Amino acid sequence: METLVFQKPKSIHKDCKVTFCPGCDHGVAIRIIAEVLDEMNIADKTIVVSSIGCSVFLNDYYNLDIVEAPHGRAMAVATGVKRAKPDKLVFTYQGDGDFASIGLGESMHAISRGEKVTAICINNTNYGMTGGQMAPTTILGQKTTTTVNGRDAEVQGYPIKICEMASTCEGAAFVARCSLDSSKEIENTKRMIRKAFESQLAGQGASVIEILSTCPTNWKLSPQESHERIRKELYPVFPLGIYKEKTSKQV
Amino acid sequence: MLLKKGIDMGRVVIDSEKCKGCLLCVDVCPKKILKKSETFNAKGIYTVYADDKNNECIGCALCAKRCPDIAITEVYR
Amino acid sequence: MTKTAEKVLLKGNHAIAKAAINAGCQCYFGYPITPQNEIGEYLSVEMPNRGRVFLQAESEIAAINMLLGAAATGTRAMTSSSSLAIALMQEGISYIAADNIPAVVVSVMRAGPALGYIFPSQGDYFQTVKGGGNGDYKVLTLAPSNVQEMIDYTYKAFHLAHKYRTIVFLLADGLLGQMMEPAVLYDYPYEDIDNSSWALDGAKDRPGRWIGSIHRSEEVLERKVLELFAKYDVIKQNEVEYETMLTDDAEILITAFGSVARIAKAAIKKAREAGIKAGLFRPISLWPFPTEELNKMARGKKIVLDIEMNMGQMVEDVKIAVNGEAKVEFFGRPAGFYFTPDEIFEEIKKVMEGLK
Repeated sequence: METLVFQKPKSIHKDCKVTFCPGCDHGVAIRIIAEVLDEMNIADKTIVVSSIGCSVFLNDYYNLDIVEAPHGRAMAVATGVKRAKPDKLVFTYQGDGDFASIGLGESMHAISRGEKVTAICINNTNYGMTGGQMAPTTILGQKTTTTVNGRDAEVQGYPIKICEMASTCEGAAFVARCSLDSSKEIENTKRMIRKAFESQLAGQGASVIEILSTCPTNWKLSPQESHERIRKELYPVFPLGIYKEKTSKQV
Repeated sequence: MLLKKGIDMGRVVIDSEKCKGCLLCVDVCPKKILKKSETFNAKGIYTVYADDKNNECIGCALCAKRCPDIAITEVYR
Repeated sequence: MTKTAEKVLLKGNHAIAKAAINAGCQCYFGYPITPQNEIGEYLSVEMPNRGRVFLQAESEIAAINMLLGAAATGTRAMTSSSSLAIALMQEGISYIAADNIPAVVVSVMRAGPALGYIFPSQGDYFQTVKGGGNGDYKVLTLAPSNVQEMIDYTYKAFHLAHKYRTIVFLLADGLLGQMMEPAVLYDYPYEDIDNSSWALDGAKDRPGRWIGSIHRSEEVLERKVLELFAKYDVIKQNEVEYETMLTDDAEILITAFGSVARIAKAAIKKAREAGIKAGLFRPISLWPFPTEELNKMARGKKIVLDIEMNMGQMVEDVKIAVNGEAKVEFFGRPAGFYFTPDEIFEEIKKVMEGLK
């Protein structure tokens, strides 16, 4: 007897076609979130907040209730959704530019308030959709279309460390940085997303999952080289791990 | 769709029209069954197929979990 | 409308806040700015007392987007702000309009441009009615002229927002927000409107719903805008509201909205006593503007005198409406100088003298 050991998650549209560039990790992130929702059986009580950038097309993928936030405002929109519907699971899906540049204010305030929402932030160290410009997370020396000689701390300053910053907020309940560069890390990222959702449902506060993710097109690397870059260049700047985890006693 | 039936072994279902030929699945397959196709799909992309003449697929689903395009739609064991 | 309750002395901003509570507003998001702070302060106590949401946002940008999120779930929700801070909300307003989300924004105008000061003003007619956000959209705008109407039109704002799934502005000014006068706080007179066909509450036993504004084909985007404007046509047909006073035999027709209309009424009485046949046309719905109604009213009049607490904003819509039926003149002051009835009376006399 054959056993089905993998299938497309139910929260993903039946006829879904992933439209990201070849090898882009967005598709993996979107799929594993859906897998967690299905496994936790909470898809029908979930409201997703999409954002601006490559993350804007969530409605092409998710058969879920979704509201599109203006650029950078996903955590404010999520706050409104959650305050109006406190019994729902609410998460944002944002890029690093949306979360940590134009939306840094909304992000940090929502986390500081301990909003019972989860921010899932795809960190690919550049602005993917607009053609690979410098992002708040672009690392020193990284060439982008607006830092053609590489990011220079004297000129463009330093990259923003999302998890390090978020974990200083008292309202943060679960903060973790993970990666999609290997099968093992994909599994770990899925576990972190589940922990974040469980933390939210337990009413512990805000949760942030930063996912190091590739942008092969704008990095001008193959998908394989892109994963290598994450391991070699991004791990040292953005170390993986759980940055904050409130136990229920601390709540 | 490329289907492969094995006895007590695994098989993967690949939707070639959704494959973008990134070949990430090829790298993770422990049995090195997945291979770049000699033919291309409607979008002109050389996709991936399962070359499993010897019924080596163990249905580990690492390929499907790696695939960014949900082009490996089902894995059986 | 049944007004069974008795008259009580109310501050304009408090009247709005109390009416919002009666209207079943479940969520308020806002950021402090004078001259509308009493709304947030009152609701910060009274909303939690009722198990409802009051949240002071970190900015007006956050506030409008919290409103977007809460209202996308079909929840009755509002924000309030003023002038330069409403300017910060314009992006969110465009999204709310494009997304057919029912939301109420109270705008208590202060003097600009920029920081200006907290004096009353009508300098944000353009900002509200012509829209500061991007793209083709309209903001249904109601302009009260006394404390009682702050209640009446707050109620109506919630009703129309949900009836048409649209953004509705209550456009007041610092004069109306800060003044106290007797008003009747009656029960919310409108029926609840079912939002189960569109609101986000989790895709349970139905396909997922998407509320958003990105459309990657010209055809779809055009269709969405045309659908929006088909809705606006219905609003234009149904929701034009205006008030007139002594217009039948008037030779000079005063056009004014909000608090200025109220001052103009006193000036018109003075003019009548002095033998000048003056009348008032007061748009209440600033969008949809009572264009046809004003056009009819202007016919046969010697002159239309538009009066505003700004350098001339609504006057552009007045001219479009009058469309040559009568001469249109403008009398206005910016920077928080609100008119006395005598000033308007003197201007009426001057304008009538000029016609001789």
